[in-house]
This record gives sequence, structure tokens and C-alpha cells, in this order.
Amino acid sequence: MDSIDLSTLERRARLRYEVTMFGRALLGFLPVLGLVALATWLNRRTTSAAVFGGVLFATGVVALWRGQLLRRAVLPGVLSGLLPLVFAIIANRGHACASGHCSTYCLPACTAGGVLAGLVVSIIAHRRKLGLPFLLGASAISMLTGAMGCSCAGSSGIVGMAIGFGVGAVPLTVRALMKR
Amino acid sequence: MTVAPDSLDVLLARLADGDRAVFTPVFQKLWEPTLRLCTRLMGNDADGADAAQTAMVKILERASAYDRTRPALPWALGIASWECRTLLTKRSRRNETAATPAESDEGGGVEEQERRLLLEAAMTAMGTLSEADQQTLLATFWEYATPVGGATLRQRRSRALTRLKDAFRRLYGLD
Repeated sequence: MDSIDLSTLERRARLRYEVTMFGRALLGFLPVLGLVALATWLNRRTTSAAVFGGVLFATGVVALWRGQLLRRAVLPGVLSGLLPLVFAIIANRGHACASGHCSTYCLPACTAGGVLAGLVVSIIAHRRKLGLPFLLGASAISMLTGAMGCSCAGSSGIVGMAIGFGVGAVPLTVRALMKR
Repeated sequence: MTVAPDSLDVLLARLADGDRAVFTPVFQKLWEPTLRLCTRLMGNDADGADAAQTAMVKILERASAYDRTRPALPWALGIASWECRTLLTKRSRRNETAATPAESDEGGGVEEQERRLLLEAAMTAMGTLSEADQQTLLATFWEYATPVGGATLRQRRSRALTRLKDAFRRLYGLD
């Protein structure tokens, strides 16, 4: 038998493993494209929604591909991000006028949605005793999901959601870190 | 039953979860048994080594789909034996289409050819069995510790063997 170059074989196997993992990640996150399309269609600022959707898709695929805690962060991230997204889409349907000036409820809706999303993510991380990669991954995916809707109020909507998210997530996270 | 953290079951489950740090240990633990199985199934060292290399790539390619409730080695060897079966089938088709069958002048060569054909036939019959049956038989072949033991394992083995015999009889009309 010719001597077998095991390191070359291992590299080949590793490459195929990565390709399969990436393919599965791509396939696994594909349904989110439907959500991105819907959010883009419902949002008046279609370009920003599409850009955030694209970044969300790339982030989700990478998280699923890398696996472990990042993979576990994907579903809670998307689900919690639906809160600011849905709030923003609903708020964007109506508006309030006072002293000749009209505005939508987009900003308060995004902030409230952000607070709830932050709470959900930190509660899951706290209860399941998941580490920082989970918290960071879930937060990023949650905020990107929410940002597709919160771009309705421009950058202020997204900033509002991010501040809300921080307000929701920080207390439990700090408590958990202090306990260690 | 406690499972050692460096057991193949644990390492493959970690690899399926995306832990790249265990790739090399998994590779190292799988290589020898895969090579042994493929060499035995293919009938010679050179073909066995080629088949083992292809099988290793296939096993690790599917590592992300590994079901952690199942023992890892029979799962991996199941893929390897399937790969060998496919290669044997390809080879036999190539031989069938070859211009003139060469008369062997050595008794040992004929015997070897018969043994390989028999093995190929057994692998074809094995391929018709359920995955659970295949794993039971592979575990028996490799004397690998399965999650079940004693009477349960004996019963499973006996049922799997009966089904293998039935499949063989159905396919080739003989025992």
C-alpha cells in the first residue's frame, strides 16, 4: 500500500465538512429571507430594510455555520427581534397630529420593542446559563431583525431600539456577571 | 453509564455542534477502524486505502448530521461500508463491460474473486436492511460496545441476522 498522506486527507475532509456546514446553515436560515421580503415590503424605507435584512441574513448564516453557542443564539435572536419589528410595522400604519405637526408612533414603538427584546434575550441567556457568545449573537440578530422595521423612523428609530434593548438586557446581564 | 469526554460519541457530537477543536481527534479515532473495514471489504490494501480515504471524507462531510443518540463508530462504519459497497459495485460493472473475461490460471485468484463477489453480495443484502439492523451487525462485527447489552443485544443481533439471511435469499435465491 502506498503511504497515505493523512494531513492532506484531513484537510480535504475538513474542507468538505465546512462546505456541508455552510450549506446547512444557508438552507437553515433561508426561511428568514421570507421575513426580510415581508419586512421590506411593509416598510416605507425599503432600501434600509433590505440592507438590514441582508446583514441579518449574512449574520444568521455565519452564526449557524460556526455552531455551538452562536447557533443556539439564532432562533431566540430572530424571535425576540420580531417584537420591535412588529411594533414598528404596526406603529407605522397610524400617526398622531398636534399643533399642525404630524408624526408616527415609530420611535416609541421601537424603543418599547427593544426593551422587550432585550429582556427576552437576557432572560434566556440567564435561565439557560449561556455565555457571552450567545448573548452577543442573539443581541446582534435580534437588533438586526428589529432594525428592518425600526428604520421607519430613520436612524433615530434604530438608536431608540438599541437603547431600549440595552435597558432591557443590561440589568440581568450585569447581575449574572456580578454573581460569577 | 458515564461516557468518557474523549470518547468518539462525545467528540463526534461536539463536531456536529460545530466545535472545530475536535476535528483532528475525531479524524484520528476514525481512521484506523475505517481503513481496517475498507481493506477487508475491498479485498486488498490498495483498494482498501483508496476506499477508506473516500469514506473518511464522506463520514466527516456528514458529521454535522450525526445523531448524538446513536453510537458513533457503527454510524461512521455504516457510511464507510456503504462507500465500499458502491465502489465494489462500480468495479464489478467495469469488469462486466470489459472485453473478454480473462481466464485465471491460479486457483487462489478464483477463490479470491469468489470471496469478493460473495462479500459484495452480502453488502448488497446488508444495504436493504434498516439502519438499526445495519448498525447492530456492524457493532457485532467490530465487537463494539453498544448502548444496549446482554439479552437485548442478542435478540437484536438475532433478528438482524435473520433479516440479512432473508434479504440474501430474496436477492440471490440461496443461503
